[in-house]
Amino acid sequence: MDAALLEQMLLGALLALSVYLPLRCGQLSLATPGFYAVGGYVAALLSTGVPAFAGTGATSPLPALLVEMALGGSLAGLIALAIGRPVLRLRGIYLAIATIALVEILRVLNLNLPFTGGAMGIFGIPQPFAHPEGYVLFTLVLLAVACWLCQRLEVLRLGRAMLAIRDDELAAASVGIDTPRTKLIAFVASAVLAGVTGALAAHFLNAWNARVGSFDASITTLAFVVFGGSRFWLGPVLGGLALTALPELLRPVGDLRLILFGGVILLGPLFFPQGLVTAERLRWLGALLGRGRGRRKPLAP
Amino acid sequence: MSANPNGTAPASAPLLQVEAISCRFGGLLALDRVSLELAEGEIFGLIGPNGAGKTTLFNVISGLTRPSGGRCLWRGRPTTGLGACGINRLGIARTFQNLRLFESLSVRENVLVGLHHAARAPMVGALVGSGPFRGHQGRLEAQALELLALLELDALAQQRAGDLPYGDRRRLEIARALATAPRLLLLDEPAAGMNPAEKDDLRRLIGRIRDHFALTVLIIEHHVPLMMRLCQRLAVLNFGERIALGSPAEVRRDPRVIEAYLGGQT
Repeated sequence: MDAALLEQMLLGALLALSVYLPLRCGQLSLATPGFYAVGGYVAALLSTGVPAFAGTGATSPLPALLVEMALGGSLAGLIALAIGRPVLRLRGIYLAIATIALVEILRVLNLNLPFTGGAMGIFGIPQPFAHPEGYVLFTLVLLAVACWLCQRLEVLRLGRAMLAIRDDELAAASVGIDTPRTKLIAFVASAVLAGVTGALAAHFLNAWNARVGSFDASITTLAFVVFGGSRFWLGPVLGGLALTALPELLRPVGDLRLILFGGVILLGPLFFPQGLVTAERLRWLGALLGRGRGRRKPLAP
Repeated sequence: MSANPNGTAPASAPLLQVEAISCRFGGLLALDRVSLELAEGEIFGLIGPNGAGKTTLFNVISGLTRPSGGRCLWRGRPTTGLGACGINRLGIARTFQNLRLFESLSVRENVLVGLHHAARAPMVGALVGSGPFRGHQGRLEAQALELLALLELDALAQQRAGDLPYGDRRRLEIARALATAPRLLLLDEPAAGMNPAEKDDLRRLIGRIRDHFALTVLIIEHHVPLMMRLCQRLAVLNFGERIALGSPAEVRRDPRVIEAYLGGQT
């Protein structure tokens, strides 16, 4: 498979995890592309404007990328922290609308701020890796770390509190869960992950503009999670990989591909209302693996 | 469990004081200056016709509803503004009349969620699954199983809470509430939908957990004979007003109670 496509799929999986984190505690946030854009601008601005980050101008040092990812993630996280308290008072579709508004505000800011390059955006972002394969390896590591952290949520107090809130927020509060704090943590973690992903994506795409953080992108990233399933991290990852690949794989059929893509997004929830990955299917998979390799800790407790 | 013959609270300082709580929803006065005091260790019953404001009073005590007037005191300190989470951490746990389990979680996980707040694990250890963290998890698991055994739910530990039959759900809600290590347990119609034999079992169970955890229990229940046997004291609400308070024997004779339950005499 084409390494560039593979890299896009991995980035899609990371964004899907960013949507998954708030959804794990029942919060339908569509803010991910906004934070993704913010992270990307941090990387783009630093690596095109600051000599220490820019390297030769065509290639940039790997440590600079790491710092940019940390800064991009932090800025996105700080924005989430600042707006999280009031915004997370909203529930369900109202939260979704508020986060769409946030994405739009960030998009308009990115379009009009004096240093973000207007509609053209920022281009000629230097490359820390000479080949797409380098990006793929690096992103694989990042995705593995993100998945591992999400898997830890299955046994951590925080992770269980999130699920409890998703099932019944009122009951969760009455067993001593600080529900506003838990939701805020999930929202900030989602923003940090999106920001980090954006910083990496800006280098990979070589150019960054306000269109990366649009309403369309909100819907696409949400589709990753709806398609893959929002209970376990594996669902969004599969959804992100599959739905990023599909439009490209369908390219040979021409204009029909968008219709086919839409059909898949439509039929997925129809036949798999809880997404591809559900508790039952994971247990089934766990039993299958368990038989193969002796006793093994199940993925889903 | 024998009823306290003179119906007075024990002499120790009250655990919970409800002071002139009023609660207004639009034009409806759901609670009208209701006061009561709970002494440590007693089983206190709250009865009254439908719509009398019993559940509203529970919601106020547990921090889900903000009262329009009055306040609650926990060991002499006002609980105003603490919210449901803060009040639970004080040591007040509750069940819900129309069952609010975490239905997608297993029976065991429902209890673990309740246990979690009492025991913080070190964050770094938790992330990498260090030895001390695993020991901590093991203790929580053991506690969860112990609680489930006490409520005769241990055989169902791995089942999804949403798949349980009704009576088991009621007991699981009690187990989840107990997991938060409360001093005061609020039970909202725990016997609803149970047959007489199950109600008898429940009465013994409530006595047992009260003794086991040295709890104070405030219980709403419609089944008056059960309450007469279970509670040391009873308060009767009608249209948001406390119309009687005392031992079961006193309450039974109270003319206002008879009127509320049987209708006014004409």
